[in-house]
Amino acid sequence: MEQGFPSQILIIDDEESILDGCRQALEKSGYSVITSSDGAEGVKLAREKKPEIAFIDLKMPNCSGMDIIELVSRDMPDIVLIVITGYASIVSAVEAMKKGAYDYLPKPFTPDQLRAVTKRGIEHRQLKIEADSLREEKERMEKNFITFVSHEMRSPLVTIQQYIESLKLIAGDILTGDAADIISRCEKRIQNLQDLVEHWLDISRIENGTFSQAKVPLDLTEILEHSMDEMNPLCQRREIILEADHKAELPKILGDHESLLRVFTNIIGNATKYTPAGGRITVRTDCDDYYVYVRIEDTGQGIPQDKLPFIFEPFFRVHGKQERQKGSGLGLTFSKKIMDAHNGYIEAASQEGAGTAFTLKFPRLYEL
Amino acid sequence: MDSKKKVLLIDDDKDFLMATKLILEKGGYEVFLAEDGKSGVEMAKSVNPNLAIVDMMMETWSEGFNVVSKLRTSETGKQIPLIMLSAVDLQGPYQSFEPPEDLPTVDLVLHKPIKADDLLRYVGQLVG
Repeated sequence: MEQGFPSQILIIDDEESILDGCRQALEKSGYSVITSSDGAEGVKLAREKKPEIAFIDLKMPNCSGMDIIELVSRDMPDIVLIVITGYASIVSAVEAMKKGAYDYLPKPFTPDQLRAVTKRGIEHRQLKIEADSLREEKERMEKNFITFVSHEMRSPLVTIQQYIESLKLIAGDILTGDAADIISRCEKRIQNLQDLVEHWLDISRIENGTFSQAKVPLDLTEILEHSMDEMNPLCQRREIILEADHKAELPKILGDHESLLRVFTNIIGNATKYTPAGGRITVRTDCDDYYVYVRIEDTGQGIPQDKLPFIFEPFFRVHGKQERQKGSGLGLTFSKKIMDAHNGYIEAASQEGAGTAFTLKFPRLYEL
Repeated sequence: MDSKKKVLLIDDDKDFLMATKLILEKGGYEVFLAEDGKSGVEMAKSVNPNLAIVDMMMETWSEGFNVVSKLRTSETGKQIPLIMLSAVDLQGPYQSFEPPEDLPTVDLVLHKPIKADDLLRYVGQLVG
């Protein structure tokens, strides 16, 4: 029994003899019992006294037990509702359980049966309350964990980067040749680790619903141009041609500028990693009556057909362990989650040795 | 005799303080360090710096914000340029589109880590 008080049981039934019988049987076992022979009054009593368990007769002259169940289970999610029903109406007992009742007690019943159902109901309630509080605790821990990671994992990385900055400044003259090379390799690896942390944080935030996105009407052409500007220096260094083929007057979509920019930059970035010098990356836009399409094609090494279904999985690497760690392993996972959040789709098609094409599909926005 | 310009650094990460101090000293500044907001505000009174650099996220995520408020209402802190530091994409009030009206003004917000030459250039511009 909770907090040392006897559990309180409410019984709603139009038959006085049932009320009396239940009261006697349950009080004998140490429960506190309140009763009502009228549906509306019973609901009022439930709201005032907040009993742990309520037995409700399904068939009463002035009101439907089913309505009471719906009302009470909505108002008081923790209450355990048990239906009292005649043998002939098992079907309606099942219906009541769908509406939120936990169990049913067919008439006629013995005091022992009543006590057994009551005991089980009280145990169920305690388990439910414990499960709820565990779930809340788990959610709270997940949120705290994200905050913890963002501070505890970022700060050392930031500090190491700051030390390297100061090292380069105060010892720049003597750090030549191999020494300078070692420093720049360290910087790259730290940057990769930082990208991994950031991507992982983004995905955790999307999953627990704290990733902030402002959805506004957007012109994807603009964002793609912006993304291509960012990626152009890299492509030039790798001698890859980055070109666009835009549909004129592309319809707008509803989206978050910042996260879509990162999605495009991610996919173009991926393409640069697997496209050899002299290759080509083409960004195309198109639309039909329902969707706006962005297609990013490369002339790279391609992805084997049997690997294609897994490329959006976290840390999946097409070429397995042989593949040099080129990114966080979360870029495509992030992109897919962002596309999901835009009610969009992302798909990949590929031919080994010929290239890969990513198609991103956004619901077209019709502005009134 | 040239008197060095004084920079006060307030951050709860000792190593970050050390790394940033090395850069500023190389740039010819005299650097004072405080590891928490309270001692930072105290130190501002005693050393009279020409510029203060305050980390946003110390004991709490917005402690730097309190420090800036206190500096801005103190005699010494009123005049000097202030730089706020924040970790990457920290969604603090300085990043939001509509900052609250009582937000104390800083002269510059920089993201950690800061490139050595960027830091020296910005500090140089602010202390003149």
